[in-house]
Amino acid sequence: MNCLDFRRALTTGEEETGAMRVHRLGCVFCADLFREQTAFDAALRSGLEVPVPADFAGRLVASLHAQDAVAAVQGTGRRRFLAAAAIGAGAFGIGTGLYAWFGRDDPMALACIEFVMKEETKSIMMGAMPRAEAAAALEASLPLARLDRIGKVMHVGPCPFQGATAYHVVLMVPQDKVTLLIMPDTRLTARARARSDGMYASVLPLRKGSVGVVGGSAAVVESVAGALRSGA
Amino acid sequence: MMPSFDELVRAHAGDLYRFAYWLSRDRQLAEDIVQEALLRGWKALPRLKEPRAAKSWLFSIVRNEHLRLIARNGPQHDSIDADALEIADERANPFGLEMRDAIEALPVAYAEPLALQVLGGFSCAEIARMLEMSEGAVMTRLTRARQAMKRMVTPLDAKQQEGGRK
Repeated sequence: MNCLDFRRALTTGEEETGAMRVHRLGCVFCADLFREQTAFDAALRSGLEVPVPADFAGRLVASLHAQDAVAAVQGTGRRRFLAAAAIGAGAFGIGTGLYAWFGRDDPMALACIEFVMKEETKSIMMGAMPRAEAAAALEASLPLARLDRIGKVMHVGPCPFQGATAYHVVLMVPQDKVTLLIMPDTRLTARARARSDGMYASVLPLRKGSVGVVGGSAAVVESVAGALRSGA
Repeated sequence: MMPSFDELVRAHAGDLYRFAYWLSRDRQLAEDIVQEALLRGWKALPRLKEPRAAKSWLFSIVRNEHLRLIARNGPQHDSIDADALEIADERANPFGLEMRDAIEALPVAYAEPLALQVLGGFSCAEIARMLEMSEGAVMTRLTRARQAMKRMVTPLDAKQQEGGRK
């Protein structure tokens, strides 16, 4: 290798090869150039290393696991649908009866489902509130201690919802994962329900504001909603 | 043995974010790109047979996600023609630019292989495969990018001389 070859190889920034090293050790000019290049590479690396958001990797992993849970819930929903289809007309009759009992899909409950489908992952990515802060924020509407009695609180964070600030809670109950949207500024007079995209939502009034409960299983959502209403 | 996806994410999330940033030049977009890309990667992981290829595979899906974003929403930043690089160099204030500003001034076509080389530690041959171009073309881009950077960034001794004259 001569000086020209060495310099050509150096300008691409490729790692030093054995031939380059042999040449450098025997050529004082190329050795100087190599030192300059090494310092430049270090500066280049520091320039490219823009700061990474705090706990970015941790939040990514949490978000992937949340997606995993949602996929599992949706998968369970699909299996349940196939089983129901096998039962046939009888099940259809029961379903129709339940729909008539619950009434039409409520827009607020549909918005809760839409949040879970489209915004939940992003909301988790924005990061969770510290527990003390979450407890203070939820105290007037739905104390965190009450949620602790129902299941394991995986995430609490504020999120924009229907033009106001809501609190997004991911709650792991023994049967499944459910999402709560606690809306301190939204008053409801009666319960509202909706079913869409393989998910089910139930919205109920609280002491202050209201809460939407969303999950893949109507039975689990209703049992959580019942527990919240009864103050379990 | 294939590392778990969590391990891959934890090992490379930082450099993937930085790579996405230098493609999009937007922090929020960079986060979204990496998140979407990893979601796709997580679903496609069973198809990855070679553990040694995991890193370049992750960088490639981040790049593809950025391309998908551009296809959907149009370019997120001004794309500069490769020939404009020389003009930009001449106009640059040689004493006022720091390294990061200098990289910001590089067109993505040059910043992309540079980021893959410096952040990802990939060789010209690997970058050529990832960018689907010839190795020679990658070497040319890297050389031109580095030369442009050197012209834009004030050498430390020049700064010191400048300071001494004041």
